[in-house]
Amino acid sequence: MSSQDSQDIETATTAIESAPDTKTRRYDRQLRLWAATGQSALESSRVLLISGSATSTSILKNLVLPGIGHFTILDHAKVSHSDAGNNFFLEGYNSIGKSRAEEAVQLLGELNDSVEGRADTRTLGSILKAHPEWITSFTIVIAHNLDHTLLNELSALLWKDAKYPPLVVVRSAGFLADFYIQFHEHTIIESHSEISPSLRIDKPFPALREHALSLEFDKMDSTEHGHIPYVVILVRALEDWKKSHGGSLPKSYEERQQFKKGVLALKVKGDEENFDEAETQAYRCWTETKVPSEITALFSDPALFIEAMDSNQSPFFHLLAALKEYTEQCDTHTLPLTSTLPDMKSDTHNYIHLQRLYKTRAEEERQVFKSYLRVPVDDAMVDSFVKNAHALVVLRGKPWGTFDEDKAALGESLSTMPKETCIHLALSALSLLQAGDTSVSPSAESIRAKIQSIVGQYTELPDEADDAIGEIARAPFSELPNTAAFLGGMVAQEVIKMITKQYVPVRGYCVIDLIETCTGTIGA
Amino acid sequence: MATEINVNGAATSSDWQDRYYHVDQILDRPGPRTDPSFLAGDEVKDFLRNKCKILVIGAGGLGCEILANLALTGFKDIHLIDMDTIDISNLNRQFLFRPADVGRPKAIVAAEYVMKRVPGVQVTPYYGKIQDKGDDYYLQFNLVICGLDSVEARRWINATLVNLVDPENPESLKPLIDGGTEGFKGQARVILPTVSSCYECSLDMLNKPTTFPICTIANTPRLPEHCIEWASVLEWPRARGDEKLDTDDPEHIGWLYSIAVARAKEFKIEGVTWSLTQGVVKNVIPAIASTNAIIAASCCNEAFKIATSSAAYLNNYFMLIGTEGVYSYTFEHEKRDHCPVCGGEALEMPISRDWTVEQLIELLTEKQNIQIKKPSLATPGKPIYFQQPPQLEEATRPNLEKKVLELVPDGGEVVVTASTLPFSLSLIITYI
Ligand SMILES: [Zn+2]
Repeated sequence: MSSQDSQDIETATTAIESAPDTKTRRYDRQLRLWAATGQSALESSRVLLISGSATSTSILKNLVLPGIGHFTILDHAKVSHSDAGNNFFLEGYNSIGKSRAEEAVQLLGELNDSVEGRADTRTLGSILKAHPEWITSFTIVIAHNLDHTLLNELSALLWKDAKYPPLVVVRSAGFLADFYIQFHEHTIIESHSEISPSLRIDKPFPALREHALSLEFDKMDSTEHGHIPYVVILVRALEDWKKSHGGSLPKSYEERQQFKKGVLALKVKGDEENFDEAETQAYRCWTETKVPSEITALFSDPALFIEAMDSNQSPFFHLLAALKEYTEQCDTHTLPLTSTLPDMKSDTHNYIHLQRLYKTRAEEERQVFKSYLRVPVDDAMVDSFVKNAHALVVLRGKPWGTFDEDKAALGESLSTMPKETCIHLALSALSLLQAGDTSVSPSAESIRAKIQSIVGQYTELPDEADDAIGEIARAPFSELPNTAAFLGGMVAQEVIKMITKQYVPVRGYCVIDLIETCTGTIGA
Repeated sequence: MATEINVNGAATSSDWQDRYYHVDQILDRPGPRTDPSFLAGDEVKDFLRNKCKILVIGAGGLGCEILANLALTGFKDIHLIDMDTIDISNLNRQFLFRPADVGRPKAIVAAEYVMKRVPGVQVTPYYGKIQDKGDDYYLQFNLVICGLDSVEARRWINATLVNLVDPENPESLKPLIDGGTEGFKGQARVILPTVSSCYECSLDMLNKPTTFPICTIANTPRLPEHCIEWASVLEWPRARGDEKLDTDDPEHIGWLYSIAVARAKEFKIEGVTWSLTQGVVKNVIPAIASTNAIIAASCCNEAFKIATSSAAYLNNYFMLIGTEGVYSYTFEHEKRDHCPVCGGEALEMPISRDWTVEQLIELLTEKQNIQIKKPSLATPGKPIYFQQPPQLEEATRPNLEKKVLELVPDGGEVVVTASTLPFSLSLIITYI
């Protein structure tokens, strides 16, 4: 081992942290999900909530607690008797007649001292006319049960420029609800995929191959033999197999069974679990390591076209372009190696040695990858990108409302997901019927007629339509505390994913039915 | 308007007009999927607001949310049990608590807060264990909602409510609504004791907790976790004697951390951190406000629907995975035939003729659908092995090495009990 290596180990294993500070302790349970990077994204975010309804304050509660930087509630309404009864972030009867935004900001602010909250009592209509730039200055905008016309204006404004904030449209009535995130593009490095990257047993890098070939299994004592990591056993067994099979891998079912038997036959004692492990992991030998199809698909993303790259493109696409070039140039045509080695039956010495082989090689490949980068990118981001290269995600969105204008898509959705589509359409119909006058209480017949006009007269509504229409007609103005709380959790969770750019947010309209207690996604 | 306001501004028992405007839209008329037995109007409102008595178990991440939702929905007589005190790491989600409350009992603080915020709601807290209470206590409620993080406590309340059911008395059947979360994942379910699948029926759905073999920890550490386990399992008792490890004490965690770091350095293992040390020794489960909100809302929504019959309730399991999009799955979990709590039939257990009592005990501890930590075993006539009291443990200890065959005939019955569980499990032993 070189002195450089031992120095690395020295620093990696001896840096002693002191006890965590108050902030780290407070956020401990969430830092385990999105780490310091996610937390800092949250802390620099500014969230705009349009309306101070029970649903809006429930959403905000779940964003203030984990520590967003700032929120504004835009609401010119005064607290009504019914608001005072269903919103936990009002002082009950005492809040009646006061500004709904101001009362809610006060009580939400108590949840977390480090979050800044503001009440704005202007009307959305006036801001859209006079100060649209105020709206576009937020990180994300959320609107609950917003008037149809205003919603159209707001979504059109936020769609104008890809750099404008995403808009989350939330609608609910009684036990039914849906929400949609309008965004142009959303790129994710840390998708927290549960798929682990390849160990490349089928295409061993030179140091791994040499190491596997250098071991003399038959000269080892039984303790050592029982601690050879399965990765090494498989690389070795595969090399030996190829030698005796003209360089080809075990192909047929019979050959693979034979290979597995051969692995087990290497045991010198019956209880060598490392060989059992090698046998169960043997599929890795014939699962070819290549660029996953989802990632190959990203390589033809329009953002990678030369013209797009010349402009002020985000680091993500520069990294993606470098990744594409890397996979084309490197002789294995694989993604760069990651150094994460799972635990396996072994002893400290063998395992740590193998881990160092992976680490060293991963570092070499990372350097090669970096050489393809055309612009400087922060090292931590490069690390994270390479580590997650097998699970990168690029999402492209559509403007709010396009689904409801696409009769073919609606018809298709009605046949594949009738229940969810009917709930969505019933909410759309309610919104249309109340446009301009939210006090309208529509009949079941008028809701049905409106739905029919959205989907077109030739599309027959499924039986599920009656359930959705009936529930909406039963409670068109009802904001149930439990529905509000449920949406509060759902929407906040997706907003956190959007802000942190970690995990994968929902695509399309997420529909919620709290009678059967189920959710579904349509119109993606 | 029938509002009466007292001097300090809190409304009295009569509610202000339109207080329940939103909920009343649901209670004043049925929907298309509402059961015909639903009687819309004043009677159902009166039951919900003046007669229904509900028990909430747990005042933590789910409990805080549950309490607030129930209060807003119109439940007025809420009882709350929790044995914990408030820790600073609760504040990222347990929204009824403030930094100044750290160290105080969760049940008391949560009850005070909700009563202050939602006038006219009575929350009766109990700061203690669910096991402190007997059948008479549980019989007084119409519904029970659980927001717990402990499997043991859930098994206890589940078995207690199943045992409570008296077929002659329909009132003795207390619907149990259970919620649980972990990170972006969670589940909510409705259990009708003896009628639908119970908590014990689904025990095999639990993730097996990660355990590390002692020989790995002692001899062949590879991961930072192995070094941490070495510090807590082996070094702590060696160096600190009888002192009890308190995973909430920063000095204790700090000590374990420094020992684990030294161990890691010796073996050139990377990745021991303070946070990981705490995570491993405390078995910390990630928890966020949003997931708790979803699951708690769904539990309370079921409570509302069951209490009012205003809509059909969940049948019977809602599972949510929020890591990739929003994925949820609603299904009917089926009763397990040999469920030791609600099944009533003995479980057949084929074992080898050579097995010792000790091996059988080990199997009972590990088997996914049994998971009894410290089982005591007896034949219908006499004890085989008892964990306690100490005299009986000593007297039965020699049996551990004996073969089961010497003590139980082929097809014979073994009754398994544990002090933490209010039920016994009957096994029929056969030899293979
Ligand atoms: Zn059961």
